[in-house]
Amino acid sequence: MRPMRLKLGDMFGWATILGIVALVASPVLVLAWSWRDPSGDVWAELWRTRLPGMISTTAILLIAVVGGTVVLGTSLAWLVSAFHFPGRRVVGWLLVTPLAIPGYIGGFVWLDTLSNVVGARGVRSLWLCALVLIVSLYPYVFLFARAAFADQGADTLAAARSLGLGSWGAFFQVSLPMARPAIAAGAALVAMETLTDIGTVRLFNVSTLSDGVMRVWFGTGDLGAATELASALTGAALLLIACERLLRRGGRQSRASAEKVMSPRTLTVFGNAVVLSVVVVVLTIAVVIPVARLINWSIESNRAGTALTVAGGIRHHAGNTLMLMAAATVTAIVIGTILALVVAHRGRLARLAGRVSTVGYAMPGPVVAVGAVVMLAAVDRRDVLPDSFLLVGSVIGLVYALVVRFIAVGYQGVEASLERVPQPAVESARVLGAGRMRTAFTIEVPAARFGILAATALLAVDITKELPITLLLRPFGVDTLSVWVWQATSESLWAQAAVPSLVMVFMGMFSVGLLLVALERGAELVS
Amino acid sequence: MSKFNFRSSKIGTSLIAATLLVGLAACGSSSEDSSTGEESGGQVTVYTGRHYGIETVFDEFTAETGIEVRFTTGSDPELRARLEAEGENTPADIIMTADAANIALSAEAGLLASIDSDVLTEAIPEDLRAADNSWFALSRRLRVIMTSSERVTDAPQTYAEVGDPKWKGKLCLRPSTHPYTQSLVAGLINTLGEDDTRTIVDSWVANDPLYINSDTDILKAIQAGDCDVALANSYYLGRLLSDDAEFPVNLTWPEQAGAGAHLNISAAAVTANAPNRSAAVALLEWLATKGQKSFSDANNEFPADPRVEPKAVLVGFGTFTADTKSVRELGRLNPQAVELLSAAGYE
Repeated sequence: MRPMRLKLGDMFGWATILGIVALVASPVLVLAWSWRDPSGDVWAELWRTRLPGMISTTAILLIAVVGGTVVLGTSLAWLVSAFHFPGRRVVGWLLVTPLAIPGYIGGFVWLDTLSNVVGARGVRSLWLCALVLIVSLYPYVFLFARAAFADQGADTLAAARSLGLGSWGAFFQVSLPMARPAIAAGAALVAMETLTDIGTVRLFNVSTLSDGVMRVWFGTGDLGAATELASALTGAALLLIACERLLRRGGRQSRASAEKVMSPRTLTVFGNAVVLSVVVVVLTIAVVIPVARLINWSIESNRAGTALTVAGGIRHHAGNTLMLMAAATVTAIVIGTILALVVAHRGRLARLAGRVSTVGYAMPGPVVAVGAVVMLAAVDRRDVLPDSFLLVGSVIGLVYALVVRFIAVGYQGVEASLERVPQPAVESARVLGAGRMRTAFTIEVPAARFGILAATALLAVDITKELPITLLLRPFGVDTLSVWVWQATSESLWAQAAVPSLVMVFMGMFSVGLLLVALERGAELVS
Repeated sequence: MSKFNFRSSKIGTSLIAATLLVGLAACGSSSEDSSTGEESGGQVTVYTGRHYGIETVFDEFTAETGIEVRFTTGSDPELRARLEAEGENTPADIIMTADAANIALSAEAGLLASIDSDVLTEAIPEDLRAADNSWFALSRRLRVIMTSSERVTDAPQTYAEVGDPKWKGKLCLRPSTHPYTQSLVAGLINTLGEDDTRTIVDSWVANDPLYINSDTDILKAIQAGDCDVALANSYYLGRLLSDDAEFPVNLTWPEQAGAGAHLNISAAAVTANAPNRSAAVALLEWLATKGQKSFSDANNEFPADPRVEPKAVLVGFGTFTADTKSVRELGRLNPQAVELLSAAGYE
């Protein structure tokens, strides 16, 4: 009887995995079809001219940005988790808010600000571009590292200290190794964001592979060759993730359930001053300056009477942005969580299949947008939907494409936090006869809720500021804040982009704030 | 050109389509029914890669004709990819692009319909429309030489002179990722041949230009003293001069003794599968005649119909010769231009 039931469950599980993966990876796989007839001449020409440079530029940028975000994000997470200082809660929230500033607007604000310092020529450098990306992407690492530190037991740390380790020793020898999987998950997101960035690198004249994809596509009209380059890029990204998996292995420890969570230590006056000044410097660079400049531009454009030039006004755009964000975030987190739950405990092959679902995040946004259009149009052509309903240009089509792009954020976040769920609890439940489903909903999901909430926050912020997919797939008359910003910035009307940008930034900050409050409530309930 | 054929991957897409539907049934509850479009008649749908000031022009058309205009904006290549994927299901009646190469690529992909209209052929000069009348220019923009009015007295008169070593370290150019740079080089290949064009582009690169990916910012860089000489589209200066009549940049019409200044166009076409073809033709005809002035003025461009008076600020730039002969070739030569730019090490 029993083995039979297991087998059925297994089949159901595998069907779920394959179904979800096919659903979300198909737009990218459809494009990869171009490999059946590779564009040899384009590749030869690229190899002769820009490709070697693009590869080395991409590699240097990637190493700099991932290295920088890991150091900055982890240290800030440690400061906020391990020490008590005035304003700790607010600081914990503010440190995540750079995520709410989209790269395509933050990049310009920084280009403009920095060129006042180092000149128009000096500002266009790989290192300044890396700096801007680090400052805007470190919150990915910060969020995951913070959740991991919050999960670590006080007893473990106390034991380490009683064995003679100082604060630094305890950090490097106990906390950091335990948080490694979470930090790696955050770093993987940073790596993919960096690899697929187009807006920021273009502003700083940094010619990466993503930029190369757009060059080939827009320059020669050869979408096939562009997708080949893009899928080569995705291959590199997936390889990186494989490295991240290796890092994650062996880091699988968790707080014993009876153990108390780590309690922050109170600092001396001097310590307070040091921590606060570090935080102030980071926040000034990452948040205060960009937001101040946006406010300044908004006032300027209001005065010039050019602020509100888009039909429907700010409410229409903000409402659409919110509606899309909510629909796509909920869909992505639900599917991502289901996938992570089904993949867990199913071995290496299942994990590999799970990985495939993340390809949409490892490709430049415009390529994913076209893949989704091709996919949805193929369904439309078959006339299978009632009332000759067309998916392309519908809200369903748009939400689907957004899920394709961002499911990785949900899936990776949930997967990393499932790994920290105490295994004995899961095993006991299973031994006591609870089914997979029941174990998942009574043990795993509640235990991983920190991670699930953090992933939801990231999704909400990412989807709020998404541009290329929304631009290409939005229904007629459904314009969002990001579309408005694009319309202004593509004409270099930066001041006119300031108002919608600010609204977008504040919406992002608000959702991040709400979720952090939820996270802290959750932590209090546990301890 | 593009060997990528969306329709050939039938087995793959059928399989994927099936799973997609299952998935949508499972997770699609969050969305509502939307926009399949009301039945035709008084409506025309536009995909436009040109979006600056487009809305007021469409409003004007609606006020005059009672035909509603529904439009979506985006970048030219992406909108073309969407049109191509949608095939017969497309809601688009008209596609509008911000440059010549992109409309030519649409024509080449068989996405456009030839329009037999005396109104259009009478209004738009022959060089500024497709040989088979599958697309029509609506406005003209020129890529010209811009110099600082404060620091430059001997402005270059040709694109080749921009490569004169005396401008080393003082030149601003737009990166080769941008279609305006690509079109300019495609135009030079058409008028001067590939070898001479390569020499010119090499000399620009040798001048160690500052690459700025925005024509407005290029002009502001001249104002700020970051460069003395630059190439930019005429209407950006028109726009800045409308705000500040003293803006310290001079415009020089290049190649006046030769083929004329590089001319690019904003173009529009009726799509091959347009659901509302007659309304589409009506809009196109209106834009080419009555709407010419407001369409061009909205973006400080020259009307495609040379008989229509341009905006006053443009008249101030003086008369000029433009290279009208290259317009139809810009799409065909664009890949060659991209390759040449890459080989020259142009950013």
